[in-house]
Amino acid sequence: MKTIKETLFALSSADAVGNVREAADLGFELLSQYTKAEKTDSLTVIGYLKGNSDYTLMLDAHIDQVAMVVTDVDDNGFLTVAKCGGIDIRSLPSRSVTVHGKEKIPAVFCSTPPHLANGETEYDDISKIKLDTALGEGAKTVVSVGDFVTFNKLPAELCGTRVTGRSFDDRAAVTCLIEVARRLSDRELPVNVVFVLSDSEELGLRGIRTATYKINPDEALAVDVSFGDGPSISAEECGKLGGGGMIGISPALEKRISKKLVRTAEQKNIPYQLEAMGETSGTNADMIAVTREGVPCCTLSIPLRNMHTDTELLDLKDLEAVCDLLCEYILSGGVMND
Amino acid sequence: MTDLLKRLCLLDGTSGDEGAVRELIISEIKDFCELKTDPLGNIIAFKKGKKPSAKRLMLDAHMDEVGLIITSVTHEGFLKFKTVGGIDTSALLFRCVRINRDITGVIGGKPIHLISAAERKKLPKCDSLYIDIGAQNREEALKSVCIGDCAIMESDFTLMGDKVISKALDDRIGCALLITLLKEESEFDFHASFSVQEEIGLRGAKTAAFGINPQCAIVLEATTAADIAGVAEENTVCKLGAGPAVSFMDRSTVYDRGFYNAALESGIDCQPKSAVAGGNNSGAVHLTREGVRTLAISVPCRYIHTACNMADIKDIENALKLCRFMLNGICGGEIE
Repeated sequence: MKTIKETLFALSSADAVGNVREAADLGFELLSQYTKAEKTDSLTVIGYLKGNSDYTLMLDAHIDQVAMVVTDVDDNGFLTVAKCGGIDIRSLPSRSVTVHGKEKIPAVFCSTPPHLANGETEYDDISKIKLDTALGEGAKTVVSVGDFVTFNKLPAELCGTRVTGRSFDDRAAVTCLIEVARRLSDRELPVNVVFVLSDSEELGLRGIRTATYKINPDEALAVDVSFGDGPSISAEECGKLGGGGMIGISPALEKRISKKLVRTAEQKNIPYQLEAMGETSGTNADMIAVTREGVPCCTLSIPLRNMHTDTELLDLKDLEAVCDLLCEYILSGGVMND
Repeated sequence: MTDLLKRLCLLDGTSGDEGAVRELIISEIKDFCELKTDPLGNIIAFKKGKKPSAKRLMLDAHMDEVGLIITSVTHEGFLKFKTVGGIDTSALLFRCVRINRDITGVIGGKPIHLISAAERKKLPKCDSLYIDIGAQNREEALKSVCIGDCAIMESDFTLMGDKVISKALDDRIGCALLITLLKEESEFDFHASFSVQEEIGLRGAKTAAFGINPQCAIVLEATTAADIAGVAEENTVCKLGAGPAVSFMDRSTVYDRGFYNAALESGIDCQPKSAVAGGNNSGAVHLTREGVRTLAISVPCRYIHTACNMADIKDIENALKLCRFMLNGICGGEIE
C-alpha cells in the first residue's frame, strides 16, 4: 500500500492528456485494487463500490492536466505549440518540457537572447514562443503535428508536510479518491459509490459530461483544487494551505450537500474551510449539476498555490482532511435522507 | 569530458558562493599542477610544461553562475530575494530553486486564473516575486534558511544527441576545458585561474590577473547563441555546431587582432562572434597592470543565464582543440 504522498508523487510523475494515457492507466491500476474499475473510450476511468441501497453517490476528480499540443515542426527542429488549458505563457521561456512524440524527448522553450531583450516583450501569443528540440532537422522523424507536450518537473518535498510538483491539479484529488476507495473498500456502505477519474476538464468540463450521463448518479461531489493563499492573492480569493478542504457554497451548487459537509466536518472534528462563490464554480460540478434532469452536486477543493504550473504547491494535511471528510460523508449516506 | 561537465554543472555556485565548485576543481587538478587559492577565492594554478614558455600565458574560466540571494523573510515565511547576475524574470517565474545546495523552494506568483488579460501579457516585476519553501511562518522558514543564503534555478543535466542541456554551462564548460588542459601533459608552462564573481562585474579575474601578471591571456567562456526560430540571421551572434566563437570586440574588450586572426586561421572549426554584445573576464584581464594581450574562446550557448543552457558537445571538443593550438602557438612563439 502506498502512502498518500507516494500515490500523489506517482500520479504527478505520469501524464494524461489526449492520447497520452500514463496517469489514467496508473489511476485505473490503483483504483482496481479497491473497486470494480473500468476504462472508457476516453481517458476517463470509473470505479464502482456497491452499497446497501439504490442511491448512487458519484465522486469526481479529473485525470487530465494542462498541456500543449504541437501545431508545427520546422526544418531546424523548432516546434510551434498551442495551449491545452490555461497556461501562463510568461513563464514558458527557457522552461524544459517533454514532447510525447514517437518517443519521449526533452525540449526547451526559446527565451529572448539577452542582446535582443528590451524589457518590452509582450506575452500575448504562445505560437510566438518556439520550442527547441535540439534535434535540428532530425526533429521531423520523431515529432509530428498533434503530439502533446507536458511539463516535466518531478515532484519534491518542501518544509513539513508541503510538496511541489506538476499536475497536482487534479492528481491531488485523484489521490484522495483512491485513498477513499481504499478506506471504504471493506466497509458496509449505505450508498453506491462511483469514483470517476474524468478526462478533458481543462478543455471545458467535457469528460465528466458523458461520464455523468452514463452513471446517472443521485448525488455528486466534484473534488478539485482551488486557489491557495500567497502574498499576491487577497484573502477572500483563496483558501489557507493546511486549513483543510474547501467546501463550496454557490448558487450553482446544492446547499443541502454544502451544509451536510460542514455538519459532518464539525461532528467529526475534521478541519475544513468555506469557499463561497458568486456564480458557477469553474469545476466539473457546473457540468454534473445540469446533466440529464439535473444532479445535486457540490465541490470539495484542496487549496493549491501556483495553479497550472509545474511548481504547484500544496499541504498533504489538506489531502488527509479531504479523505477523512469524504469517508465520513459517504458513511453517513450523503444527503440521501436529507 | 561530458561526465566532468555534468559534475561541475550540477554543483551550485552563485557568484560569491563558489565553494563547492572550487572544491571539486581542486580535487580534480591538485595532482597535476601547483595551486593556491587567493584572498577572493580564485584558484590560481601553474602547470609545468616540458619547456619554458616564450610568453607568460594565463588561461581563465569562471566558476560562478547566475543565481539569487535571500534578502529577507516575510512573517508568512516567504523569502524575498535579489538576482545575482543578469536573469530575465521569465526564467524565474514559477521556477523550482535550490537554496544553499539543499533546500527546495519554488518561485510563486498569482495563478493565471486570477490575473487580468492585460497583466497576462507582461512579466511581473522581479521585486514582486518570492520563494516559497513551504514554511508556515517566518520562524519555520528561518530553521531552514538564513538571510544571505544563495539559490540557483534547479535543473537536470540532459544529453540529447550531441547537445547538452543544463544550468551553469556558462561557464562550467570553461572550467571543464581548463581542468582537461591542466590534467594532460603540456608542451609549455602556463598559468590558470578559475575565477570567482564574473557574473557581478568580472571581479575575481581582476585580482587573479594581477596575481599571475601575464603577458597574454585566453579566456574560456560560453556565449549567447541566438540561432533560434524567429531571430534574424544577422542577430544570431554565433551558431551551435559551427565551432567555438572567437571575439573581435564585445562590450568589455577590443581583442588582440593577432590572436583573433590566428584562431580563425587555425584550421580548427570555429566562428567569429558576429556581434558586439556581452562581455566576459577579458574585460578585467586585458586591462591588468600594463595591459594583457587577450583572446576569448567561447562555446556557443542558447538560453544563457537560465536553467536550461544548451550547447553542442562538438563545439566543446573543438574549443579544446583550439585552446591547445593557441596555447602551443603563443607559448612556442609561433603566434606573434
